[in-house]
Amino acid sequence: MKVLNRRKMIQVNGVLFLLLILSALGSSLLGPVPLDLVRALENMFSPDANAEILFRTRLPRVLLGIAIGGGMAACGTVLQALLRNPLACPQMLGVSGGASLGGILGLIFFPYWLLPIAGGLFGEISWVPLTAFVGALLSMVLIYRFSLFHGRLHPYHLLLSGVIFNSFIAAVIMFLNSIVDFYQAQGLLFWLMGSLSTRAYLTVGFIWAYIVFGFLWLWTKGLSLNLITLGEEAAMQLGVETAALQRQIFVASSLMIGAMVSVSGMIGFVGLMIPHVMRLIVGSDHRLLLPASFLAGGIFLCWADTLARILLAPAELPVGIITAFFGGPFFLFLLYREGKKLAV
Amino acid sequence: MLRGPQHERRTNNKFKLPTFVLRPRSKDSDRFLAVCQAMNHWKRILSVYFFAVSLLIVSRGNIFAAEAPSPQRVVSLAPSVTETVFALGFGSRLVGVTTYCDYPAEARRLPKIGGFMNPSLEVIVAKKPDLVIGVNTATDPAKAREMERLGLKVALISVTSLNDILTGIKSIARLMGSPQRGEKLVGAIEADIQYIKKRVAGAPRRPVLLAVGIRPLVVVGGSNFIDQLITLAGGENIAGNSAQPWLNLPEEYVVAKAPQVIIEAGMGSERQQSGNRWGDLKSVPAVANGRVYSYQSDKILRPGPRVGEALAELARLIHPECFTSPANSKPNGESRCESS
Repeated sequence: MKVLNRRKMIQVNGVLFLLLILSALGSSLLGPVPLDLVRALENMFSPDANAEILFRTRLPRVLLGIAIGGGMAACGTVLQALLRNPLACPQMLGVSGGASLGGILGLIFFPYWLLPIAGGLFGEISWVPLTAFVGALLSMVLIYRFSLFHGRLHPYHLLLSGVIFNSFIAAVIMFLNSIVDFYQAQGLLFWLMGSLSTRAYLTVGFIWAYIVFGFLWLWTKGLSLNLITLGEEAAMQLGVETAALQRQIFVASSLMIGAMVSVSGMIGFVGLMIPHVMRLIVGSDHRLLLPASFLAGGIFLCWADTLARILLAPAELPVGIITAFFGGPFFLFLLYREGKKLAV
Repeated sequence: MLRGPQHERRTNNKFKLPTFVLRPRSKDSDRFLAVCQAMNHWKRILSVYFFAVSLLIVSRGNIFAAEAPSPQRVVSLAPSVTETVFALGFGSRLVGVTTYCDYPAEARRLPKIGGFMNPSLEVIVAKKPDLVIGVNTATDPAKAREMERLGLKVALISVTSLNDILTGIKSIARLMGSPQRGEKLVGAIEADIQYIKKRVAGAPRRPVLLAVGIRPLVVVGGSNFIDQLITLAGGENIAGNSAQPWLNLPEEYVVAKAPQVIIEAGMGSERQQSGNRWGDLKSVPAVANGRVYSYQSDKILRPGPRVGEALAELARLIHPECFTSPANSKPNGESRCESS
């Protein structure tokens, strides 16, 4: 393992950050409808179609995409280290199931309600993300309680309880889906497939707040994460308070996942694949891997969402389809290349 | 050595045939054979008799074919079919409907055979229907085949286009044994359609967005009878160039296509709204002019006998100026409607 130095850190993250900015600009300019950038910028504050396409529909979407992609990838990275399982992904923690159920209940009971923020001063947001986030918080508490083993958060218990909880929730959701109205059921399925469609900067801001907070918290644990991959006992001998670390990582990533799923639904594959890809590219030092994964996840989801909007225009594809379509083969290619490198 | 006398005896016995007929358990095989022959003779006579009788029955059946026993126990597998059967005046013959069949009000009280996509085969069979009617868009063909294997008569009605719906109404009427009622109902619907067409004939075509889902935005695409209804009502579906019947539309597309009317035909729930969710898109004419209509309407979404009413409703939303009486209407140079 190469020693991590400041130069590599700046180089890797700098390049990725630049790519992220370019991606954000690129996907703001690309879409199923043509956009006149000059007119959009001229009429920023007046009702103009170009300005509304750019600032009301595309930009919030791109910003949300970066936050979700980055957050998912960062959570995937730490969960793979914490659970010592290469298949760990944000959807595995059970929190996503709780958020989905909360969102579904919100969609069933008040699909059209809007909540005015500060008496409508800051606009209105839908109730659905709020109920989803409440669902995520409740399921986080529940899973935490059930994963405690002799007063400690045990990785295997966490993994198992998460998987079981998610399959249970999936059954509840399917049950709800089969008893609601036909058209409502269609709406629920569309919501479950996940979408980055949003126009509310307030929601985007709320997500970014959670993502930044959670990410920084996880990043400070980078060194301890490196040690815990050696095994719990080894990490303990090297001075890591494993019980506290596990607890903190669980809470931080649960909050992030809850916030992300409540707004965008279940967008799979980013959290599973990006950490592996970045581990193959930049190595497995979490101090570098975490920010690199975050930036790469943002870039990836940004482009995936752009393709989702363009490919079947005017129809929009569920972004999860794109992430799997392009991510899967690329990941297999990297794995194959790595295998050949080792053989030589 | 043994065969000789036996053979002889058979020839002898031939003459005693009538006496042996009543002794079928005779151990003598020759005699048994003779009995059989005698019976064959009678069988031939009998079979000719039965053939004649059955010919008579079949011919009688043919004579009455035009008034074949019409189905008395009908199961409907879709809300639109239930509405059609009621509209044709055969509602009393329905013995099972889906849980979504809520129109007309009588349909709510009928026994339920399960959902729209997942009706229960057992419950259907237990109703002993002599006709099961489903639709091509929702009824599982495998389930339909299974019902046919169980001896049920199954009919699937196509509801993809407006024409399909009208043809479907006629075929349901024919299946129920009263084609003339179908002609009458379809005639009334066609008259409604013609009336609306005439009403909006002079009006300009307005770009329209018809959404059924809001999070995410799910709208009516092309290849959907609702798209045709929008066109007939003097509108132009902004997602009409898509091949899918329903699609998830990016919001930027709505801004770019600038619909003049936005209709949110609810997702099955009552209108529950506080505030305008499109408020931030002021460049969209529908938003700027306050022409976003959000209400619950099964009428528009159901491919049944209420399509005429649905069309009238859409036309009133898209071109309200065409439905004010000529005396009240202000002179408006931009949109002129024929009001005769």
